Amino acid sequence: MLLQIKNLKVGYRNIEVVRGVELNIDKGECVGLIGESGCGKTTVGLSVTKLIPERIGMTSGEILFEDKNILKLNPEELRNIRGKKISYVFQEPFSSLNPVFTVYEQIREMLEKKNNIYIQIAEILKSVGLEKIIGRKNVYPHELSGGMQQRAMIGMAIASKPSLVILDEPTTALDVTIQRQILDLITGLKNKMNLSILFISHDLRIVFSIADKIGIMYAGKIVEYGTKEKIISSPSHPYTIGLIDSIPSFEHRKQLFNVIGGKAPLFSELPKGCKFYPRCRFRIKECLKKEPELKDISADHFSRCILTSEIAARRLPKQNRSI
Amino acid sequence: MKLLKIDSLHKTFKKHKVSAVDGASFSIFKGEVLGLVGESGCGKTTLAKLILRLIDADKGSIFYKDKDLLKISHSDMRKTRKSLQIIFQDPYASLDPRMRIGEVIEEVYDIHKNVTGREKKNKAIELLETVGLGEVYLQRLSSELSGGERQRVGIARALATDPEFIICDEPVSSLDISIQAQILNLLIDLQKRKNLTYLFISHDLGVIGSICDRVMVMQSGKFVESGSCETIFRNPKHEYTKTLLKSALLS
Repeated sequence: MLLQIKNLKVGYRNIEVVRGVELNIDKGECVGLIGESGCGKTTVGLSVTKLIPERIGMTSGEILFEDKNILKLNPEELRNIRGKKISYVFQEPFSSLNPVFTVYEQIREMLEKKNNIYIQIAEILKSVGLEKIIGRKNVYPHELSGGMQQRAMIGMAIASKPSLVILDEPTTALDVTIQRQILDLITGLKNKMNLSILFISHDLRIVFSIADKIGIMYAGKIVEYGTKEKIISSPSHPYTIGLIDSIPSFEHRKQLFNVIGGKAPLFSELPKGCKFYPRCRFRIKECLKKEPELKDISADHFSRCILTSEIAARRLPKQNRSI
Repeated sequence: MKLLKIDSLHKTFKKHKVSAVDGASFSIFKGEVLGLVGESGCGKTTLAKLILRLIDADKGSIFYKDKDLLKISHSDMRKTRKSLQIIFQDPYASLDPRMRIGEVIEEVYDIHKNVTGREKKNKAIELLETVGLGEVYLQRLSSELSGGERQRVGIARALATDPEFIICDEPVSSLDISIQAQILNLLIDLQKRKNLTYLFISHDLGVIGSICDRVMVMQSGKFVESGSCETIFRNPKHEYTKTLLKSALLS
């Protein structure tokens, strides 16, 4: 196991936003982490590289990367991991590239061996599909389109040949056609370099097209976890079902979506019992008693719901939908 | 019945010599949802703004009920805009951060001078309820609202003048998928209830497919293909449409 997250809890001031997350990533595996804005998914990603400053975030639990607990490492040891063994691609390429340095300089910074720099950079640019700017050493980020900027970011992320890449909504700011190209690029690199990937997104469609395993997060906890096939064919948590039913497509033409009503709860005012209770279509009184544990449904498939077995049968057929 | 008839509309941005809209001709029928799909920068939003005369077209004509919108005076245009409204893309940028939600909606009546005094507030409450928000939102600032709630305010504002035709310019592209479905439901419901006509702009073919009757595919200022949703999705002819469909994340 390359990365093991055990009972990770992160609190900002006194409010816990990641409330006990367990997640494993194997070598060469892509794990997708899905959830609405503000469910704590980015915080999980940031914790993996210990990027949450200690004075704001109280972190507990264990993050084992190559059997070392990242949360216990000193700054020196962290420097040897961040950007080298674990790299990070952020959501908005334009705000994460430095506008006053050229793309070449920014990629060079990431290289470990400083010999034959231009050959190395050319190779990286080629592998992320930026052949156009090979040799153009004075190109600045603002001269590139959004898609090319994201390619440059990915280039920087893989420059040090990491074993784990965290991608935090890497395609959200991009157009559909460019989105597809970036996803294809990531899949290609993953296969070529045997990369492990933690892919954070709010869009199930994107995660379905790239991840091997999927964790669905709600209010700071994983509510369902399983292989992609299991999640697509037999979603078991009402939240997952709601998310899948919210996907717009041609097949749902002119029908109302079976939406998840309301909005995500604030962390300071989490409801009692199951945190999804107020928005759940399948709720019963028992749900209020205590927050359910993550239960086994089948091999490699877990759900945090006491009704798991009945839910699939009660999922409404499409034509009976209303607001 | 044809609600709008647009004929060879052109717009070139001179400074950059870009033909943003290059000979657009199409009609919008009463009560339909017409989709407009294409990549960023292909001219979708420019076309929307041209139709409402928020920017001036170089040439062409836009007929709305026998009136050529490009030929009428500004004051006439302002009156006509009562029936032609728009919901903007970015709910974070389209609401004034210093205005309360009540003021945002009531401002519409100040501009059109058709409702006054106490009636304005009642109307605003009624509209907020129509879009699934309540009276409590009157006093809020847009910064206190989530993206979905802001977009609902945007919809309420567009509905304030009781329009016949609404341009929805990527109304859901900045929202989470669960909120996106809520807003789409609201738009579908309003369209059926009030027999509205939409020009629905999006780059997401999933969204277009779920809501539209007809689709027009746009590439660098030109329509490359148009037809019923059925034809475009099942049997695309143009290469660009095929590429779009292939890249779309259709589940």
